Amino acid sequence: MELMQGTLDMLILKAVSLGPLHGYGVLLRIQQISGEQLEIQQGSLYPALARLEHQGWIASEWGESENKRRAKFYSLTATGRKQLQVEATKWTRMAELVAGILKTTREEL
Amino acid sequence: MEIWAKGSFWSRVRSFGRAAMGRTRVEEGMAEEMRFHMEERAADLERGGLSAAEARRRARVEFGWVEGHKDGVRQALGLRWLDELKADLRYAARMLRRSKGFTAVAVGSLALGIGANTMIFTVTKGVLLDRLAVERPRELRLFSIRMAEEGSPIHRFSGSFGPAPGGGTQTSSFSYPAYELLREQNRSHPVMEDLIAFREMGNRLTLTMDGHAGVASAELVSGNLYQQLGVTPQLGRAIRPSDDTPAAGLVAVISDGLWSRMFGRSTNVLGKTIGLNLIPVTIVGVNPPGFTGAGSVQSSPDVFLAFGAQPQVFPMRGSGLTGGPAESNSALGDKGFWWMQIVGRARAGVSDEQIRAAMAVWLDQDIRATLKIDKDTQMPKLVVRDGSRGMARAGENYAKPIYVLTGMTAFVLLLACANLANLLLARSAARQREMSVRLALGASRGRVLRQVMTESLLLSSLGGLAGLALGYFGRNLIPHLLSSSWQPTELNTAFDWRIFLFTAGVSVLTGVIFGLAPTWQATRAEVNAGLKSASAGATRRRSGLGGKAIVVFQIALSMVLVVGAGLFTRTLVNLNSAELGFDPNRMMLFAIQAPASRYAAPLDVRLHERLEERIARVPGVESVTLTEEPLLANSMSNTDFFPTDQPKPQGKAAYSDVNGVGRTFFTTYRIPIREGRGFTSTDTATSPRVAVINETLARRFYGDRNPVGRSFSNGTGPDDHTYQIVGVAADAKYDQLRDAPPATFYPMYAQQNEEQEMTYAVKVRAGAGDVMPGVRAAVAEIDKDLPLRDVRTQKEQIEATIVEERLFATLTAMFGVLALTLACIGIYGLMAYSVARRTNEIGVRMALGARSEQVLRMVLGESSWLAVAGLGLGLAGAVGLGRLVRSMLYGLEPHDWRTLAGSATVLLAVAVGAALGPARRASRIDPIQALRHE
Repeated sequence: MELMQGTLDMLILKAVSLGPLHGYGVLLRIQQISGEQLEIQQGSLYPALARLEHQGWIASEWGESENKRRAKFYSLTATGRKQLQVEATKWTRMAELVAGILKTTREEL
Repeated sequence: MEIWAKGSFWSRVRSFGRAAMGRTRVEEGMAEEMRFHMEERAADLERGGLSAAEARRRARVEFGWVEGHKDGVRQALGLRWLDELKADLRYAARMLRRSKGFTAVAVGSLALGIGANTMIFTVTKGVLLDRLAVERPRELRLFSIRMAEEGSPIHRFSGSFGPAPGGGTQTSSFSYPAYELLREQNRSHPVMEDLIAFREMGNRLTLTMDGHAGVASAELVSGNLYQQLGVTPQLGRAIRPSDDTPAAGLVAVISDGLWSRMFGRSTNVLGKTIGLNLIPVTIVGVNPPGFTGAGSVQSSPDVFLAFGAQPQVFPMRGSGLTGGPAESNSALGDKGFWWMQIVGRARAGVSDEQIRAAMAVWLDQDIRATLKIDKDTQMPKLVVRDGSRGMARAGENYAKPIYVLTGMTAFVLLLACANLANLLLARSAARQREMSVRLALGASRGRVLRQVMTESLLLSSLGGLAGLALGYFGRNLIPHLLSSSWQPTELNTAFDWRIFLFTAGVSVLTGVIFGLAPTWQATRAEVNAGLKSASAGATRRRSGLGGKAIVVFQIALSMVLVVGAGLFTRTLVNLNSAELGFDPNRMMLFAIQAPASRYAAPLDVRLHERLEERIARVPGVESVTLTEEPLLANSMSNTDFFPTDQPKPQGKAAYSDVNGVGRTFFTTYRIPIREGRGFTSTDTATSPRVAVINETLARRFYGDRNPVGRSFSNGTGPDDHTYQIVGVAADAKYDQLRDAPPATFYPMYAQQNEEQEMTYAVKVRAGAGDVMPGVRAAVAEIDKDLPLRDVRTQKEQIEATIVEERLFATLTAMFGVLALTLACIGIYGLMAYSVARRTNEIGVRMALGARSEQVLRMVLGESSWLAVAGLGLGLAGAVGLGRLVRSMLYGLEPHDWRTLAGSATVLLAVAVGAALGPARRASRIDPIQALRHE
């Protein structure tokens, strides 16, 4: 399934909310929690990461990867956590709304 | 959500700052991160069973376009914008470097335009915007009174007067007792903080120190002034309330300027005793540099004294003018003499109207209690004004000239803008192809616009920078043009951040204005048409019309400026050739004041007689005379004129100007006596009072009758006298060059009761050289403590009264020449461009049989039509705007046809002259070559 417009940022926030990750790690985490269902243009992760960091929702730090290589790790900030909550609430409400509309039958009108 | 937006705003700023500063770190980090990603992915794929090469290939494919994503990151960090700006600037700089001539003309004309504006703004700021250098100047309120034309209960004034809005006159003068009473009332029912009093005493103080005599200016201040204004001396102490009592020792605080000038900024100045009008005064403090007193923002008086010092240092017998308690030298107890200013801080929360209402009641009570009131008396009205700029006299004097000059400089700048717009328009038409290529390659329209704007702004910034430098070095030009050799102008032209801001603002504005036209043209660029019409077609497209309109506008603006230059130059010429009625040649002027402490009246009159007699014997001096008022110095006295053989005239007709003079006044100034006689040796201090009247006065009061032998009185007060008319002199100008000679009578100064200060007029023998050393020695022989003040020639004195007109003539002539130059460049540019574009067309015409003079006429005709259209427009503008400066002109009307016709001729000649070069080039076009020409 292709990613819906505007949801990548939220997914990244969710991914790093579970613990600091490097860019490739974010990709793996999203694929893992989505059960390999989502197709992501891998390079587009980086503008999105930069955008989120620019907003102050995630912070980055250079560290060492599992195989002892230098990598940049991203973690959620306090404001990022709030933003994730807001986005999640918004998304859930939207999803319920759309689902409700789609389930509507003739009798209910 | 609010908090969110705020939080992320600062985070964005921080992030942008970090990224922009550590640019290489960002780029390297980004590359490393992406490489890491692809290598990890490849490793994972390899573990999944792919060959190493295939894994690397797949990883790269899955990642996508690396450079594109990098750009995405840059954009996310806000760096794209910065990169584009840099590229635009680099490109713009390259373009400007490539056409050096164009850049030089553009930057040069902008520098002149912006520099002129900066120069005028520097003066404007000083005169109209600057506030007093005291704490919280906005809280200050200055009080004035407004009086009806007739029936004011106050008769004795000193200080500046002005017409009040809505009739009557307005002055900020009060009596000292009125100040004390208002202050007392305010203390029990406060509407203001404590009331402060001050009075600028002008440039009339004799300052003696270590046997050397000079002239200084002074300000009297109430004891609470320093404390109320929050001014702390940079050295020593301020004047305190305890200094402001008659019993206190005489102390002075001096200005920073005087401290530098006379004491070389030595701290030994404290405790030093100087002579002020020959009264010893001790210096106790030095003012901070910016402080200019309570009355003026322009320049500081040299010496500050408490009001308690007035009776001794500035004795005013009979309160300076007439009447009053003659036994005292003090004006402090005189209820009838209104001469000093009141200022104070408004209390928080009290409105100006509340202040006015309360103070008006107190003032009314005071006037009714102390002055003579009858049924015809019109009570003065109290006015509360902004006191933050002092008495703002400079503002009153210079406001109109400044507005006119600001208008003219704005026109010059607009003209420079029009010129640039025109040049840029021509260039942008030539760059149509480049724009089309950029658009075709995928540049957005906004991007192309930004590029064009960047170029204009770069140009205008360069011009602004040069203009700022010009304004900085030229900031003293106007004060310099306004000042005369013996009196500096009171104009403050301190350079500060507001001027920088103004110039920066003007530069950006001009850049936007002249950048608009080419930008607009760039947006119209059609990719296809632009690329196809690479070769200039035989038919011209409409795009030339913009340029023509701009040139017409330029000529119209130039016309207005040239007419202005013509009007002001002719005003100056007319003033210089005005009939004076006296001979100003070989005449030296200076003033001598008899200090009242040494020469109490009538000793002062005797001193002047002795000096007159002594100076007349100095070698090289042909004759000498004294006058109460120097001629043509914008100062005069007037008084009642009641002929004894006629019923008392009413209203204005009962006045005459008066000037007390020496015995040889008429011969020294070569003023002919028409009837009767001038003064002779039989007229002495003790003989009956005599006067000579001028022809205008004789006509007004005596008609055809011979006035000689008749008598008149100059009022009915105790100090007024009856004079016998012994002669009628020809009319001569008195105080103003602009006015016709006023009705004037001349009494002898030797017959007056007191004369503190007199102006000496010394007629120098032809070829006698400098007589002043001899004159100085002669004066010192009689009293070595008498400084000669304001030494100048009569001609310099006359020049000084028309210095404003000279300034206008000089500046407007400069603007006029500038305007002509700019118009010339504009027309030349347009015609040269038009000829270049039409090479093909002209070639066709010539091939079909047009002769070269026909082509010449065609091009010249085109520019003439532009000029005529511009002239018509400019003529209308000049006549319309001319009305605004009518009061500043002399001897001609703003629609003076000679000036208008002359200006039009000059402009037409310039327009044709500028087009001559391009026209010649067009007429020499070789048809064969032109047709081959792409």
